[in-house]
Amino acid sequence: MGKPKALVDKGKCLACGGCISVCPQDAIVMCSSKAIVSKENCIDCGICIQTCPVGAIDNEEY
Amino acid sequence: MKYDVVVVGSGPAGSISARFAAESGASVLIIERRQEVGVPVLCGEGISKRVDEFNVLEGKRWIANNMDGARIVSPDGTMVKLAADIAGDETGYVLYRDIFDQELARGAIRSGAELMLNTYAVNILKENDKIKGVKAKQFGEEFDIEADIVVGADGVESNIGRWAGMKTTLKPYDLETCAQYTLTNVEFDRTYCDFYLGKKIAPGGYVWVFPKGKDIANVGIGILASLSEPGMSLKLLDKFINSHPDLRNGDPLRFLAGAVPVGEPIESVRDNLLLVGDAARQVDPITGGGLMASIEAGKTAGETIGKAIDEQRFDKEMLVSYEEKLKNTLYKKLKRNYAVKEILLGMEDKTLNMLADSLKDYKFDDLSTLSLVKALVSKHPSLLIKLKPFIKLSRL
Repeated sequence: MGKPKALVDKGKCLACGGCISVCPQDAIVMCSSKAIVSKENCIDCGICIQTCPVGAIDNEEY
Repeated sequence: MKYDVVVVGSGPAGSISARFAAESGASVLIIERRQEVGVPVLCGEGISKRVDEFNVLEGKRWIANNMDGARIVSPDGTMVKLAADIAGDETGYVLYRDIFDQELARGAIRSGAELMLNTYAVNILKENDKIKGVKAKQFGEEFDIEADIVVGADGVESNIGRWAGMKTTLKPYDLETCAQYTLTNVEFDRTYCDFYLGKKIAPGGYVWVFPKGKDIANVGIGILASLSEPGMSLKLLDKFINSHPDLRNGDPLRFLAGAVPVGEPIESVRDNLLLVGDAARQVDPITGGGLMASIEAGKTAGETIGKAIDEQRFDKEMLVSYEEKLKNTLYKKLKRNYAVKEILLGMEDKTLNMLADSLKDYKFDDLSTLSLVKALVSKHPSLLIKLKPFIKLSRL
């Protein structure tokens, strides 16, 4: 099992863009009104998880 | 596809920039990622009546309600009333923000700008390192939009700025993470915008209750991201509503999330490119209000662009007059308010309660510093020390 990475629950994401603006790795993009985390760039700093106003982002083991 | 100017984003900053650029003769294209201008709404929907001075809106359809002022509620429930003219840039009108944005976009279009919906920027278009426009995508098809000037009005995400190599990433300390309901069937009829403060209510932010009509209100929360936990905004907003009898029975017509930059404005000009609005972090760091700042900066941006097109000069040296003009006006205020934000964040709930208690009966029509300090300190002398940083700041 690899390192944990941030994963967006598409059912919860409301596309506010907050996670994108704070991501130090530019690892998140908005696609069809849902935030998507790039596994390659994510360093699991957890900032987006803490920031999400509706709790739509969590850690996922890969 | 070739224009003088391509504006990314049809929010207030984008539409106002486009309008004033088009008015001075530039050919302007606005691209908008969403399928409807202004929807979804990402806003508390309050604005100062100073917006009227800009003459950028027709009719009254965008106004939901007229406010007499603001009420600041301290952690222990003490209420301070402020008349609208001194209550800041978020009190005056409560908006229908979707209609507001559409009216501003209409103004841009009437001035000659074009608007493409469902169209998002995928990157900046470059030739030998020189910015030549944007790469865009609509209905799955990618194409180039050539332009002499690119305007990044793409909101808190600020992708255009990032792609241009600007430092757009926000520290969690400089972002408010927000959730908001439009509640109907609420039991009140008020003409005040209410702001609730307190570490247990909204750490590093506040809860707002903005009445949109007799039984309808925009009720939302902003929390400083550095003090937030996953999903905290929504949890605390629900808690707030459930503990307020006048809101508890309300039913939501709309639920939204939002993110508001509360840092200082960033460097916003490059050769052939400028940023405006939330993308340039042009937001009042105390209140998180960005509408007035966007309109003011957008107008300056549009006029600067008009001049640049006239002279056919698009380098940074030319465009930087946009920033220079804001430096002595908008940016001065935003920088001062950032310093105030830092002082306020350091204040204990107890201090806020004392402040509110001192000010609750204060007649704000005499808003001289001396009378204000007198009122504050005569009731709670210990406030003098707590307020020292403010006094220092006012001397700058």
